[in-house]
Amino acid sequence: MTEIVAPRVGRTQVAEEVPAPLFEQVRRKDGDLVLTGRGGYLDDIVLPDTLHAAVLRSPHPHATIRGIDTSAARARPGVRLVLTGREARDAVGIIPHFFDPALVGGRTADFRCLAVDTVVYEGEPVAAVVAGTVHAAQAALDAVVVDYEPLPFVLDADAALEPDAPTLFDGWDDNVLIRLPFAEGDAGAVLAAAEHVLDGEIRIGRYQTAPLETRGYLASWGPDDRLTFYASTQNPHPLRSHLAEILDVPESSVRVVATRLGGGFGHKFHGYPEESLVCLLARLVGAPVKWVESREECMLVGAREFVHRFAVAYDGDGRILALRDRILGNVGALGASGGWGMTFVAGMAFPGPYRIKDYDVESVAVVTHKPPWNGARGYGKESAALAIERIVDLVAAELALDPAVVRRRNFIPPEEFPYWTAAKHLDSGRYTAALDHVLDLAGYHELRREQARERAAGRLVGVGIGFELTPEGGDFSGALLRGFDTSTVRMDPTGRATVLTGVTSPGTGNETGIAQLVAAELGISPHDVSVVQGDTDLCPYGYGNFSSRSLTVGGAAAVLAARDVRDTLARAAAVLLETPPENLVFTGGRVHALDAPERALRMRDLAGAVFRRTIALPGLDDAQLESTRTYTPSNVHNIPDEQGRWSPYPSFPYSAHVTVVEIDPDTGVVTLRGYSGVHDCGTIVNPVLVESQFLGAIAMGIGGALWEELPYGADGRLRARTFKQYLMPRAPDLPWINTGHQVTPSPFALLGMKGSGESGTAGAVASVANAVNDALAPLGVRVHEMPLSAPRVLSAIREARR
Amino acid sequence: MIRSTLTHHAPERLADATALLAEHGAAAAVLGGGTVLLPAMVRGERTHRHVVDLRRLELVFVQAEAGWAEIGAMTTYAQVLASGELTGSAALLRRAAAGITGGAQLRNQGTVAGSAAYANPASDMPGCLVAAGAVLRLHGPDGPREVPAAEFFRGAFTTALRPAEMVVTVRVPLRPARIGYYKLKLSESSWPIATAAVTVEVSADGVTSAAVTLGAVAAQPITIDVAEHLSAQGALRDEVGFDEFVRSRVDEPWDDELAPASYRREVAGVVARRALKQTEDGEQR
Repeated sequence: MTEIVAPRVGRTQVAEEVPAPLFEQVRRKDGDLVLTGRGGYLDDIVLPDTLHAAVLRSPHPHATIRGIDTSAARARPGVRLVLTGREARDAVGIIPHFFDPALVGGRTADFRCLAVDTVVYEGEPVAAVVAGTVHAAQAALDAVVVDYEPLPFVLDADAALEPDAPTLFDGWDDNVLIRLPFAEGDAGAVLAAAEHVLDGEIRIGRYQTAPLETRGYLASWGPDDRLTFYASTQNPHPLRSHLAEILDVPESSVRVVATRLGGGFGHKFHGYPEESLVCLLARLVGAPVKWVESREECMLVGAREFVHRFAVAYDGDGRILALRDRILGNVGALGASGGWGMTFVAGMAFPGPYRIKDYDVESVAVVTHKPPWNGARGYGKESAALAIERIVDLVAAELALDPAVVRRRNFIPPEEFPYWTAAKHLDSGRYTAALDHVLDLAGYHELRREQARERAAGRLVGVGIGFELTPEGGDFSGALLRGFDTSTVRMDPTGRATVLTGVTSPGTGNETGIAQLVAAELGISPHDVSVVQGDTDLCPYGYGNFSSRSLTVGGAAAVLAARDVRDTLARAAAVLLETPPENLVFTGGRVHALDAPERALRMRDLAGAVFRRTIALPGLDDAQLESTRTYTPSNVHNIPDEQGRWSPYPSFPYSAHVTVVEIDPDTGVVTLRGYSGVHDCGTIVNPVLVESQFLGAIAMGIGGALWEELPYGADGRLRARTFKQYLMPRAPDLPWINTGHQVTPSPFALLGMKGSGESGTAGAVASVANAVNDALAPLGVRVHEMPLSAPRVLSAIREARR
Repeated sequence: MIRSTLTHHAPERLADATALLAEHGAAAAVLGGGTVLLPAMVRGERTHRHVVDLRRLELVFVQAEAGWAEIGAMTTYAQVLASGELTGSAALLRRAAAGITGGAQLRNQGTVAGSAAYANPASDMPGCLVAAGAVLRLHGPDGPREVPAAEFFRGAFTTALRPAEMVVTVRVPLRPARIGYYKLKLSESSWPIATAAVTVEVSADGVTSAAVTLGAVAAQPITIDVAEHLSAQGALRDEVGFDEFVRSRVDEPWDDELAPASYRREVAGVVARRALKQTEDGEQR
């Protein structure tokens, strides 16, 4: 584990004092099980007589299905069922969208679990087989004969906007899903009048998150027609609601159990065809049916393919006066899953941490014949940060100013918070302090001196800064994708607590943080708090895991509920200890009188007394040691103000990054020489969890900046289908990462917490891109096409030498 | 999980293995270390009803005799790496084995002969075997025969192996030589993008022969005589001219999803140069 650098500046604006065991390195619950391979994931669940499904997918990016002959497949040994799209259409409904673009003025389309007449992307499910074993099911796929008539297709977003481009969906006259404007002031006028203007373009290739555990589902219908659906999913309750709708059964007849996740990252948002497909297959064969996504199937899921075309006006001191950006997001064939919304966030995140009064950003989501997106950590923020941070560096380069100086001149100063932009109400921030902290951590000024020496010797060494603003905890009304959540806290007669919550963990360990929060309220050990997540029969309705929200809302709801339980306990203890409730202290698993510590009760004796003696003992009259509370973030502004400003996100953590790279001038290979990051997510509950999320996010950002890509061939098919073709960073690819943390609590959030989980991805992408371009600066060339692979970098170097 | 049912054969005699391969034709596959075959079968890219496993043929060995080393077909990279028999130009195989992507798990499973039979352009072994002057000993229905590595690799994933024929051993000469091996890859998990294996032989009068074999830059290895580009001591005379010379020898560069053909041609020169540089310390192995 890396050393955790203590916050350099003390906590400020703390609404309430932070009690123990918060800000402590409590060991992760179940960490030993996970590390020793005994944690148990979806594929480890075995129900008696389970059958297995395999999915036949379109090899074409666009085609008409003229017919499907399943007779040979049905005759294969072990095959119990072969299902086509036409058959499925009569049995189940359309899949509700994770977030329907029509809710915010976009177009929409209907998707089913199996394509019926037309396929619009390679990999679209067209038929399914159920057999006794996975092998038998997969082998039978080869015997299904589909008669396709290939149709013209389009893969590139710009090409999809051409007037003669093939369209995807009935009733659409072009391929624009939605245009999302984010603007304040009059950028056009400022750009027209400014002395200094520069423009440019940045392209980001399609890539994804590649969780180690792929998706999987196991459906089982009981004799009472009740469905139990085990799912590797991030959103069990919304998935339950949608499944009930698709399958046309009462929601109370569906139980979704979200299993332990080996990574979520947005890849496990719901809306996939296989979810309802597996339920339907299980109903038709009358036995449990399991399906687990292969790596190849996983890699079909896309994300993050953007183009930014920008212009920026600035003054001679490097102050940015105006900004225009036209963003194109190639969201693939839409689907019902939760990906297209990244184009919203990619625009909404502008203008980042900077005080720019005149900006005009439009983010356009374009559909193409690539497979649909799903969420990917960063969720568009990494795209925005890359463009914004490159723009700042370009301004610095034009004026020959240090990029750190230009950032300082443009940051929103701490005293201007809360700060409005078109679609954000920023809670709090000390951006300059975070930047200074990371520059200090990286030894920035010495790095620059060293770089000058190395440049003189002809070496391509680059230092890049990246600053990331990370809107978190989003609330999207109209959909089952909300910013609030609900938790229950109950105490048992032994004085231990159980939390049941609507938020889930994607494998990050937030259950440990929730236990710490409840333990702090009740004065007990986190080891005496169990956390139950993901089972819709047990947990209150909630929205699961997205947008780094689990601890800030699920944990906050648990805090409120724990306070209710403590109040009941305090009234009982006041009777038993003969002291006023306000004179009681809950700590160390005991409750005692503030002025007489010897007058104390162990929590188990106190809870035991409530259960055993209420109404039998005078004054002891309330036995409710259980409470369910919903926490609603106070900084969500769904209704636009008189200036049209709104803010679906309540929480704005941020981070500052410095990357050092060296480029091999003969091969274009980029080597990371150093990395430093400073993160601020407000009040920290568990530094180890925050640190590990930050490190993971940085690794993911570096992977996306340098190696990870899902390239498509001219045939419309994905070219990277294994980890030998889709290059994830391995440990030797990464440098030592120095980290620091700063604590600037949100004045709007309970305990001052801000989301932590996504933070780091965007800053890493931006700082690596800036470092690589800084290294190339002496050659007078830039690479603005991501990832910054060796062939692209070498091509730029060669261009310089010509 | 392999989707199709198959029969696993583990013959104890070479003739039986050949007979099985002859009997089942394309339905049969030779199973060596399995690091390529089994994942491909799991993904459904290859289907074989019969797998002929070489594990009982006693083909795990590295033996030196009369100036040649012979490596059994089931010898893993890890065993090659640990072998003290591979000296001189044959030490190239150890150098390549040390850098096989996939770490200890793969080095303990993958084999030199298996990699040769796979003939993936973007891999270490084809170029190394050609550079080392290896000879592949094959066995088929017509009995044994030997094919020099330079003639064995016919193209991408294509070898001189005839139907029902298999690689039994790889023979490598133990010529005293300076060696160099450089591999360019994009990241730790990447296939090789370009490799160069170099042998330089010297006598008291200076360099007597020098060759660079490029791997991964084209469908099959390219061997280039570079003696005239070296000084008598073995140092490169003109780096820029050398790069251009090497690039000019790459007619049809290999293209895949990791690197376009133009990139492979572009880096061929520097990769060759870096391998050559390693021989300049003058040490003969």
